[in-house]
Amino acid sequence: MKKRIQIHDLKKSYQDRVVLKGLDFCVYQGEVFALLGINGAGKTTTLECMEGLRDYDSGSVDIDGRIGIQLQSASLPEHIKAMEAVVLFSKWNHTKADQAMISALGIDAFADKQYYQLSTGQKRRLHLALALLSSPDIIFLDEPTAGLDVEGRAALHEQIRKLKAAGKTILLASHDMAEVESLCDRIAILSEGRIAFIGTAWELNERVGKHYDIVIRTEEGTQNYESDNIGETLLNLLAQYKEAGTVITDIQVNRGSLEQHFMKIAKGE
Amino acid sequence: MEAFLYGVSLQWKLDIRSRTLLTTCYIVPLLFFGVMGGIFTSVMPGAEQTLIQSMTVFGVTMGALIGLPPSLVEIYGSDIKKVYKANGVPLCLGLVLTTISALIHLFIMSILIYILAPLLFDAVIPRNPAAYFTSLVIFILVSLGMACMIGLGVKEQAKTPMFSILIFLPSTMLSGIMFPVEMLPEAFKIAGRIFPASWGYRMMIQGKFSLENLWPLLLMLAVSAAVCIVLLKKVSRR
Repeated sequence: MKKRIQIHDLKKSYQDRVVLKGLDFCVYQGEVFALLGINGAGKTTTLECMEGLRDYDSGSVDIDGRIGIQLQSASLPEHIKAMEAVVLFSKWNHTKADQAMISALGIDAFADKQYYQLSTGQKRRLHLALALLSSPDIIFLDEPTAGLDVEGRAALHEQIRKLKAAGKTILLASHDMAEVESLCDRIAILSEGRIAFIGTAWELNERVGKHYDIVIRTEEGTQNYESDNIGETLLNLLAQYKEAGTVITDIQVNRGSLEQHFMKIAKGE
Repeated sequence: MEAFLYGVSLQWKLDIRSRTLLTTCYIVPLLFFGVMGGIFTSVMPGAEQTLIQSMTVFGVTMGALIGLPPSLVEIYGSDIKKVYKANGVPLCLGLVLTTISALIHLFIMSILIYILAPLLFDAVIPRNPAAYFTSLVIFILVSLGMACMIGLGVKEQAKTPMFSILIFLPSTMLSGIMFPVEMLPEAFKIAGRIFPASWGYRMMIQGKFSLENLWPLLLMLAVSAAVCIVLLKKVSRR
């Protein structure tokens, strides 16, 4: 598969603080790749180094294709109308705005509203539309659904799926594990300036998800158990309850969520 | 070129929608002209000879120094500059567009004074309109150059009025538009020469170009252009 992004030994410091200690990863054509990390892990710095918005100290960033960028914190002059911004940026990129994309993002509904009158969701959609104006091969999305309501998130997720279906390569930084699990092919978790994990959501579960919480309810009360060997533990517990003559009313077996696994890795546990 | 022209016309519209620029480029200068024009011509004999020039210098100085910097801080002190950069728009575009747009607004305001002053206050029209309007454009450009230095140099919107007023007040008070420069103490006369308003006013009332009045303005323009280039580079790294 064609590599669209290749990062090698990327390092970046701000004065005395080392933010990136040598990142290595690649993103393939048509892949949705998530960059995860707790606040301050270096997600935005990594994205901005890749986007060419920030200088890095050493290493290499190879980007193969035209890029579109939706920034985490973005703004426009407060009196510019949504459609005026679309026209300005498309003229500057020597392209014509794709009306189908504009309609799909619902820009028509607030085309004549000034920027300061837009809701957070409308601003996010407008900035995504601006990022897509140049028909990019690679799209960088920095926390694209932050501050959006449920409807706004669903609409944006739908748009990301359509972009993937169109063969676009998408790199997104996010905090939202449910979003990452449902949209992304692969995940990289940043921790203390390094990549602590890279792989699929399933691989992440496999790597740290062998631990189970068991809850057994009987007429006498509720008992909690923990196990790293679920099959053997369950058989033993059931045998014990049968031997004691206790009637089990309910059993729950919980595997740690992806979010718990992410937190473990992100915190270096 | 098409993108640039669209940018200029869009910036023009944005400035009209922005109450700050509308107030500082039109409402306050024209109100000041309406009130002070009446007072000057009533209490100062001969004021009608220089009324157009003095009111224009006041309006341009105010519109440039107080009206332009907030627009620049809005662009360069916020995430707008990142959006420009991310979408392949040169960082200097914001500066160029806002300056051109302000130049047009201030020129229109000056034309309004030029037309209204003779009608309302019997003001004398400058003898050489071509020389007058050329001097006016040079003066507007120099004033906008000073305003750009404030807009790019100050990081916070809240601090811009302070810096603007620090330059605006001595510019107008020491330029000779309120009272003759000859009445000022020597130190204030010298201090007044570091501001474009005194040179612009002199050039506009002379009605002809003289190197003596032109070179200080051109020097100020060159210095402000150089400072703006340095500040723009600094802002892009910020």
